[in-house]
Formats: sequence, C-alpha cells, structure tokens
Amino acid sequence: MVIKMEEFEPKIVGFLCNWCSYAGADLAGTSRIQYPPNVRIIKVMCSGSVDSVYIMRALLEGADGVFIGGCHPGDCHYIDGNYKARRRAVLLKSILETIGLEKERIWIRWVSASEGQKFADTMKEMTEEIKKLGPNPIAKYWNI
Amino acid sequence: MSEKILKVKNKDTVGTVNELLREFLKSNKVKALLVMQEVPSKKISFPVLISDPEQLNSNVFAPVLPVSTATIISKITKVNSASKPIGVVMRSCQIRALVELVKLNQANIDNIVIIGIDCLGTFPVNTYSDFPEKVTPTDYILESYNKKNDEVKYHRSSCQICKDPIPNNADIVIGLYGMNSQKELMIQINTEKGKKLLEGFSLEDLKDKRNREKAVKETREKKTKNRMEFIKNKSNIKGIDALAKFFDKCINCHNCMKICPICYCRECLFESSVFDLEVNKYIGKAEKKGLFKMPNDSLLFHTTRMNHMVVSCVGCGLCEQACPHDIPLMEIIIPISENAQKEFDYTPGSDIKEKMPMVIYKEDEYQEVGEK
Repeated sequence: MVIKMEEFEPKIVGFLCNWCSYAGADLAGTSRIQYPPNVRIIKVMCSGSVDSVYIMRALLEGADGVFIGGCHPGDCHYIDGNYKARRRAVLLKSILETIGLEKERIWIRWVSASEGQKFADTMKEMTEEIKKLGPNPIAKYWNI
Repeated sequence: MSEKILKVKNKDTVGTVNELLREFLKSNKVKALLVMQEVPSKKISFPVLISDPEQLNSNVFAPVLPVSTATIISKITKVNSASKPIGVVMRSCQIRALVELVKLNQANIDNIVIIGIDCLGTFPVNTYSDFPEKVTPTDYILESYNKKNDEVKYHRSSCQICKDPIPNNADIVIGLYGMNSQKELMIQINTEKGKKLLEGFSLEDLKDKRNREKAVKETREKKTKNRMEFIKNKSNIKGIDALAKFFDKCINCHNCMKICPICYCRECLFESSVFDLEVNKYIGKAEKKGLFKMPNDSLLFHTTRMNHMVVSCVGCGLCEQACPHDIPLMEIIIPISENAQKEFDYTPGSDIKEKMPMVIYKEDEYQEVGEK
C-alpha cells in the first residue's frame, strides 16, 4: 500500500481590523485575487484591541501562524491603535524569544482597504514562510 | 536631600526605630502608620496599620514579606486619598511596585508618607516562622549584617538577585548600609513631605557620607552582578518542552497573580469564565487531540500574565513565594522581565513621572515589525 504524503497546509489565524485590513481582504475577494486559503480570518475592531492572550491562545492551541493586520501607521481609525499593537507585538516577541518559542509564527502587517493585492501577496508570503517552518510543535502537547 | 544620624540606644536598633516611629504618631505628624509588626503568636510579621503609639512595637527589619505593602496602599486608597497623612514603612521592592501602581492609576499617594528602609533581604515565610537558628530571624539578619556576612543562606532567591535593596522615591529613608547598626542609623530626607515629618526632631547631620556612599555603591554592584549571573545561568528554559516541564506542577490556583503587586485587575481574565467551554466543546477538543490535561490553559495563563506584567516587574518574588508547589518562577520571570525592560529602556519604579512603555509610542519606531 502506498501512503500518499499530504503536503503540510498551515493553519493561520488572522486578526484583521475592521477599517483597513478586513476591507483589504474583502477587496481581494471581490476582485477575485487568488490567495492560499490557509488563513482563518477573525474580524476585530482594531489591531490595538488584539490582546496577547488571543495570540498566545491560538499559538498554544496549535495554530501554525498568527497574523495581525492593521491600518498603516498614521491611518488608524482610532488614531493610535496600530502603534500600540506594534509595541505589544514587540513585547510579545521579546518574551517568546526569551522562552524559546517561535516568534516567527507571529506576523503583524499593515494592509489598507485599497490594498487587496497586498493582502493576497502577504498571505501567499506568510503561507510559504510558515510551510518552511513546518507544523507548530506545540500542537501535539496535551499537558500544557 | 539631606542626611541625618539617628543614634542607636543600648545597641537596640529595632527599638530605636520604634521610638522614632512612636514620635511620629505622638506628634501627630501622621495619623497612622503601616508597619511590619509581629502577630501575637510571634510566628510572623505582617503589615499592621497602627494609630496608638503605645501599641506600636514594630519589627521593621523583620526579614519576611508575606504580602505586598504596595497592594495594601492601592487597596486602601482605591476610592479616595487619605484625608490625613499615613506613614508607610516599605522595602525598596514595594516602593517600586507602589510607583508602578500610581502610574497605573491604582494607588493615590497624596497623603502617604513613604518611609523607606534599607532591605537586608527576606526569608521564605515558612523559614521565618520555623526559624532553625537560636536567635530570632530579625536578630539573625542584623547580626550577619554587623558581621559583614552577606551570604545569608536563608534568603529568598528574589532577594539574592534584588534589583536595588536601597529605596528610591521614598520621602525619608532609614539607612543601614554603610552604618554601624549598633551605634547609628542614617536618616535621609528626600522630599518636602519627609522634611515635614522630621520637623522638630533634633538630629545631627551625617557629616562623613563616604562610608554610606561606598556601601550603597558596593551593595548595588553586588546585587547587579548576582542578578546578571542568575540570568545567565537560568536562561535555559527554552522551547515548549522545557516550558511544559517547568509548569508541570501548576494547578491553576492563580496565587502568583493574586499576590503580584503589579497584577492589579479587579477580575483577572483567567478568573472569569471567558475560557470555560461548554462540555461538548471539551469533548470535541479531546477527540481532536486525543487527550489533554485538566485543568487546561495553565501555560496560557502564565504566558499571558508575563505579557501583562513583566514590563513593570519589580522582582519582589512574591509570585514564587506564593506558589503552593514551589515552582521557581523567578527563573523564568527575571530573564523575561530583564529582556523586556531592556527592549523598552524602562526601569520600573525608578521615576514616577516616566510614562509606561505600553501606553506610549513613537511614530517612527519598530518599523521593521510592521513591514518585516
């Protein structure tokens, strides 16, 4: 019997802000731009509202990547939510680095409502990178 | 800033400080004092709010920290600031925590006079209450200080690697380092509040400050060295395997969060039912993974707590002390907080006016994070 090796398809959890990135993803869809279907999108009001607990939960539950999409710096609907999200990402990455978890699995990018192509490209790029990293090793841990 | 001398009577260091504290109450400079005092069983010292000078018999140098004094100040000033001055005797780590709580709008120190004491380190609660030596823990620590024996074997790990045992941001400081504790103590007046507190006391000026300054410098250098060594040796909890092993014994009691002076949320997210699933979801999760440990989410709790508090971590080590299963939390919290604080160039508790890193930003910083 020949076992067919399935290619690893990463699961990515994407937190997209209501005003820019989500609209960007919408535009990618309505413009019929093709991008890998690996991302599971969760709409949030602002990238600044994504607490580290949600990122950590996705990671510890076994998501292979976490994507946070916000408005470009200066364009935040709430003025400075994305700047704060950026600082939080820096903190989270610093902690992950110290405890030796893969910070490369967390991406934060700015995608505006008019950048459907950029959203699709970013998703392609991220899926490729996560495929290179391989499956999240945390997924098989049942004792955490 | 000025330095005075408090003459120690009959080699009784603690008694002399008590007399000074009683005078603060008698002269109505403060209406009440929050200070460590032994409970009647003499098993432990707790922060006690005292208004009757006759009943004040504090144990200021008691080498134990059962609860956070900063949390107590935050709790009692939650609604409004005190209408009359309250004096609080605090260790440096607790003053740092209080400064952080003030920045977080969780404490009001308008009418709080902070009396800092030089900290000689503290012992775990159980070591303190069943102390194996013939003398009391307080006498033991003062004696070993007098003998210049600073390798006290009972110290909590957090005290061995304390950021700074000498109080900053106190209104007055009762100083031990660099002084002969059987003869004299130093009283340092740092603020207007402190000046007011000591009005009417005839204390000599400390003329020769060299000993004090040298001892302070040496103590700080030594602690920093210990801390850096600790971080170097303990930064081996890396990767999910090591983390799972490290938190193996965690029972999700959340004691570390409850005792932490920086964890100020009235209701922690993890005490709420946000992560409680409906039974079929649990079954679904078990089916998907095959099995999983209950109660779950202990690593999620710890990593989230780290994210929420490490930038302000003052290194008091209460989390480690409160852990019922003796998980050596310092080994993970200290390296993380050191790196995170370095990242934002922030020293918690050092400057009450400095903004906290998570509430400020610069438009042109960390650009690589958003665009790789």
